[in-house]
Amino acid sequence: MGEQKLYQASANWLKSAVDALCAAGIEVLAPTQSESGKVDLARVTSSEQVIQSYPNTAFPLKRLFLPMSEVLLEYEKGEEGDVELGPKSAPAKELVILGCRPCDAAALEMLDKVFQWDYSDVPYQEKRDRTTVVSLACSEPSPECFCTSVGGSPQGSEQSDVLVFGGANSAALMQINTAKGEKFIERLADTVTPAPEGTKLPEPTELEQKFDPQKVKGWLDENFESNFWVENSLGCLGCGTCSYLCPTCHCFDIVDEASWNRGQRRRNWDCCSFALFTLHASGHNPRPDQAARYRQRLMHKFKVFPERFGRVACVGCGRCLKNCAVGQNLLADLADIESR
Amino acid sequence: MSANGTITQTLREAAAQVLSEEKVGVVIGYGRDDGQEFSTPVFLRKAEEVKRLVFDDLCFGNLAVYLPRPEIRKMGKTGIVVKGCDLRAVNVLLRENVIKREDVLLIGVRCGGVGQPQLPKCSVCELHDPGGCDVVVGEAIEQQEVKAEQRYTEAGKIEAKPAEHRWEFWQKQLSKCIRCYACRQVCPLCYCKRCIIEKSTPQWVQTSPHLRGNLAWNVTRALHLTGRCVGCGECERVCPMDIPLGAINQKMAKVVDERFGFRSGFSAQEEAPFTTFSTEDSEEGIL
Ligand code: SF4
Ligand code: SF4
Ligand code: SF4
Ligand code: SF4
Ligand code: SF4
Repeated sequence: MGEQKLYQASANWLKSAVDALCAAGIEVLAPTQSESGKVDLARVTSSEQVIQSYPNTAFPLKRLFLPMSEVLLEYEKGEEGDVELGPKSAPAKELVILGCRPCDAAALEMLDKVFQWDYSDVPYQEKRDRTTVVSLACSEPSPECFCTSVGGSPQGSEQSDVLVFGGANSAALMQINTAKGEKFIERLADTVTPAPEGTKLPEPTELEQKFDPQKVKGWLDENFESNFWVENSLGCLGCGTCSYLCPTCHCFDIVDEASWNRGQRRRNWDCCSFALFTLHASGHNPRPDQAARYRQRLMHKFKVFPERFGRVACVGCGRCLKNCAVGQNLLADLADIESR
Repeated sequence: MSANGTITQTLREAAAQVLSEEKVGVVIGYGRDDGQEFSTPVFLRKAEEVKRLVFDDLCFGNLAVYLPRPEIRKMGKTGIVVKGCDLRAVNVLLRENVIKREDVLLIGVRCGGVGQPQLPKCSVCELHDPGGCDVVVGEAIEQQEVKAEQRYTEAGKIEAKPAEHRWEFWQKQLSKCIRCYACRQVCPLCYCKRCIIEKSTPQWVQTSPHLRGNLAWNVTRALHLTGRCVGCGECERVCPMDIPLGAINQKMAKVVDERFGFRSGFSAQEEAPFTTFSTEDSEEGIL
């Protein structure tokens, strides 16, 4: 790595950062734990709500930029036949995300590619612009993690304005990557100090590469029709869990919800595992069974996306294989493909 | 000590036999995947494959969900591994004419309970020994007597709260729903080819995951399963948002039990309240 801007802070940096940002009136999302034990990024107003040790959050960052349901347009018809349009956009407030993992930050790259592709998506971009991403490097990857197989790393800094090493039990080292990152450091005032000259980043955490996406793509290129799709999707139920918890899945549906004199147009998450996703009004469905839908999920991530945008649409967070009701194991399936 | 430690071997033998004698085209059972914290479904077509079968304390899934699927039916007669609680779902599928008895071969396991610690449903299980299966494996298990008041404890906990707290509780829980429909997809009794949620002309239920839409969705599902749900607990197990769906189902089961003396899935011949006309029914409302 070339010239790095490095700062150091105490083990307690996360809590001090939350307090400093909240005091400055900035919106903060930080890791918290729910009653049922789930760790997730949530809006916090004090460092007491924040936890410092966790493998990863239950949800990725996606829903902060592509909300599960977002009002794109609303209208109300008045007594006189006049129509009022909304939503009135509130002035964009600065938002800081603290403590996401490098894989989830890297996934923003894929979302950026899609939402700035042939058109810059206004609601998405507005949220991206106002947000600073402060990620936490991983020292203990979970068993389901495979970022190193898809071009990432437990210390990857991609799309992180700041990447923090250590913390929780040891002093923290902060690597500043962008102008937003510098501003973040300024806000922390005297709780951070520049790291002494010659300070080195910790040794990279080892995580064995579990498959080669190039080889997987080679097989996918040749095997649109294959019994593999039927055999390996027999258990799949066709729900939305794997897509909805995936940091890179980005499909949506547009619905109008109206009552007598007012209505909303909303953009809601949607997912290619659902039978309805490709059902035509005629009754024809080009993806008639779960095998075709499962193939779509893998093909889009490991063949179509790299062809269009130069990289796979998976960051190896492992959420899909960990949360699937029937244990559908993406990693095992990719290893199986590679071995063919 | 595992409650289900010794079943695997006899189960494999039973499966190998029905496969080699070509009594079935497929056996659906449980297998192990080292990456997973529970035993996952496996679909075996050949007797040689039975070494993939296991039965242990992590066999949570209710495999009856696969019985109506066209991909499975194509394989011929279906052999399926069922615990007592899963058998109840099979009974409802038979009762509702979704499957025919001659199209399935039931391999019942005498199940001592799943989960570590054991799931609450297992401590009040009344079907450790599944009756009416074609093959049964496992040692006999002594059936404890279960009292009526033990059956609905989850619903009871919520009923004990004052009405406004219950409303607050459910608003909080249901606003978490992300509309992934895992609860529906995993449910053996949600077999409709097109769920009402997917009907858009007109759009009966809003698909947006806001509280209004989520309430409509979860209430609709609860009503569609009233008097049918067998309490297998799969919907609650798979909900990625930890919504206590089991309490909703228990409440509905309790109402049906109290009003009609009916509990779903104990036989394939039972007359279910929703599909049986009786002048004896009390007329207290829609239930
Ligand atoms: S792979 Fe699992 S999570 Fe994904 S659609 Fe199938 S059953 Fe649902
Ligand atoms: S496909 Fe699975 S492992 Fe890859 S980014 Fe999505 S959820 Fe994570
Ligand atoms: S409810 Fe009964 S049959 Fe079902 S898993 Fe528990 S003990 Fe086994
Ligand atoms: S509603 Fe839930 S508990 Fe009832 S049968 Fe369906 S999956 Fe099982
Ligand atoms: S599984 Fe849970 S989150 Fe998903 S639709 Fe059902 S209730 Fe909602």
